[in-house]
Amino acid sequence: MSWIREGELNLIEKLSANILKAGPMPKHVAFIMDGNRRYARKRHVERQEGHTQGFDKLAETLRWCLNLSIHEVTVYAFSIENFKRSKDEVDGLMELAKQKFIRLLQEQENLEKHGVCIRVLGDLTLLPLDLQQHIARAVVATRTHNKCFLNVCFAYTSRHEIANAVREMAWGVEQGLIKSSDVSEALLGHCLYSSNSPNPDLLIRTSGEVRLSDFLLWQTSHSCLVFQSVLWPEYSFWNLCDAILQYQLNHRPLQKARDQHREEQALQQHEADRACVADLLQHHGNGKPLDAQRRQEALLNYTASREERVQDFLGALQHKRDSFLTDLTSQAALA
Amino acid sequence: MAIVYEFVWQVLHVLLHIHRTLITWFRIRLRNWNGRLWSRALTALIVPMALSFPNQKNIVPAPGKRVDRRYRWGADGKSLEKLPDHIGLLIAEEEPRYTDIANLVVWCMAVGISYVSVYDNYGVFRRDNSRLMDEILKQQQELLDLEGSKQLCVEFLNNGTDKQDQQVLSCQSVLKVLSPDDGKLRIVQAAQQLCRAVEQRDKTSKDINVTVLDSLLRESKSTPDPDLVLKFGPVESTLGFLPWHIRLTEFISLPSHVGVSYEDLFSALQRYASCEQRLGK
Repeated sequence: MSWIREGELNLIEKLSANILKAGPMPKHVAFIMDGNRRYARKRHVERQEGHTQGFDKLAETLRWCLNLSIHEVTVYAFSIENFKRSKDEVDGLMELAKQKFIRLLQEQENLEKHGVCIRVLGDLTLLPLDLQQHIARAVVATRTHNKCFLNVCFAYTSRHEIANAVREMAWGVEQGLIKSSDVSEALLGHCLYSSNSPNPDLLIRTSGEVRLSDFLLWQTSHSCLVFQSVLWPEYSFWNLCDAILQYQLNHRPLQKARDQHREEQALQQHEADRACVADLLQHHGNGKPLDAQRRQEALLNYTASREERVQDFLGALQHKRDSFLTDLTSQAALA
Repeated sequence: MAIVYEFVWQVLHVLLHIHRTLITWFRIRLRNWNGRLWSRALTALIVPMALSFPNQKNIVPAPGKRVDRRYRWGADGKSLEKLPDHIGLLIAEEEPRYTDIANLVVWCMAVGISYVSVYDNYGVFRRDNSRLMDEILKQQQELLDLEGSKQLCVEFLNNGTDKQDQQVLSCQSVLKVLSPDDGKLRIVQAAQQLCRAVEQRDKTSKDINVTVLDSLLRESKSTPDPDLVLKFGPVESTLGFLPWHIRLTEFISLPSHVGVSYEDLFSALQRYASCEQRLGK
C-alpha cells in the first residue's frame, strides 16, 4: 500500500517495541513533518524530491506506528501559510498530493483490509477543485473503516480551525439549534475539524525547530511535546521510540494536569447551567422562590435539554460536512 | 514473556530517572562550584574578607555595582541579533519559588524585553499575585537599584482598556500574570460573545473569521503574541498556556526555575536569537 509501507519490524526493533509497550503508550500521535527542503539541500537534490522522500518517510512511519499499536496519527502536510511559497513549489506540492490521493483510491481493497480511515482536516475550499474531489472520494470511501485513522492536515492552520468552529456554533445559533449560552469548551472542541478524534497524546516536530507553527494549538494543550533535531526524511524507528519514551516519562504529570483541567471544565459547565437556570426562573417564575429540590430538578432538566440541543446541533453539523464531501464526489463522478 | 518486557521497561525507566537526577545534581554542583570560585576571587581582589558568600546569589553588591549590572544586562540585550518583544515564563513545577521568578522577571526587564508573562497551570500566581509583585519590587530594588514601580507596570490580562494602553506606553516593561483561564476559557468567552451578537442579529455567522476572533482575544492592541516561552520544569507540555497566542512561539525548556541564574536566561535568549522563522515560506 503506497500510504502505509508493507513490512514488519526486525528482531531488535520488535524487542524494543515490546519493551516500550509494557508502559503507557500514546494512542494518538501527531507529527509536524519538518525538514524536507533542508534535507533536499543537504543531499543536493531538487526540493520536490525532498517532499517526495518526506512522503515515503510518512508511509514508513505509519507502518511503525501500527507495529507499536498506535492507531491514530495526525500529520501536518500543508499549512495555509505555505501558500506563500513560490508558485512552482505550491503547484508541485498540490500535484504530489493529487498523485498520492489518486494512488490511494486505487488501493481501496488494501485500505479495507487494514481498516484505514483517512480524514483530511483543513479548509478544502482553498485547494484546486480536482484535488478537493480526489480528497472527498478518499475520505468518503474510507469513512466507515475503524481499525486505524490517518488525519492529514491540508490547507490547515489551528487559528482557522478554531475560528471555523466558532463560526459553526454561530451558524447553529442562527439556525435556532443552540443558544449562545450553550457555547462551552466541550462544544467548541466538537466543532473543530478534528472532532472525531481524541486529542493527541504526543506531538513530535522534526528538524530542530521548537515551535508549533499553528498546528493543533487547541488539541495539544496537554499533550507531550517532543522536539527532535532529525530532518523528517531521515526519521528512524529509534527516533520514534525516543519520542515515545519521552511520552512515558511525562505520562503521569500530564494525566494529572488533564484530569484537573477536566474537573475545572465540568465545574465551569455546572456553574454556567446554574446561572442559566437562575436566569430562567427569574424571568418565567411567578415570583415565589423555589425550594432546593425544585431548583435541583430545574437544573437537571435544563442540563438534559441543553445536552439534547447540543446533540441535535452536532448531528446537523456532521450532516452539513458529510454533504459537502458527498457533493464533491458526485461532481467528480459527473466530470 | 510479557513479564520480562515489563521488568526491562521498569529497569529502563529507573535508569532514566537516575540519569535525570544525576544531571540535575551535576548542574547544581557545577554552578555552586563555579560560584564559589568566582566569589573567592572577588573576595580576594575587591570585597573585604569580613563578608562570606556561600553562593553568588547572596552577594549584595554596593549600589554602584547594581547600576553596573543594570547597564551590563542592558548591553547584553542590545548585543543579541533579536530579542523577544514578549517572553512567557511557564513554571511547570509543583512549588513556585517567588524569589527566583522575581529574578527572572527583573532580568528580562533589564535585558530590554517589553512584555513579560508569568504562568503556572494551577493559577497560583493569579491568586497570589500580590506576593509575586512584592517579591518583584524587592528584587528590582536589590538587583537594579530601581525604586518603586517606575520601570514596571503590572497588568492582568482580562482588564485591558484604552486607559491601560496609555499607561502601558509610559512603562518600560509590562508584566502579565496568567493562568489557564486566560487560555481556552477566554476563547470560549469570545465565542459566546460572538454567538450572542449573532443571536441579537448584530452579526451573522459569516462575519466570524480569524481576524475578528483575534481582535477579541487581543486584550490590548499593543500587546504582541509571545515570541518565546521559557518552560521551567520536567513536564514537556504547554499545560494550557494561551493556546491561541502561541502559534509562532519558540519554546525553550530549562530544567528548573529554582536557583536559575542570569546566565541560564541569557543563554536561552542567545538560542532564541539564532532561530530562523520562515513563516510558512
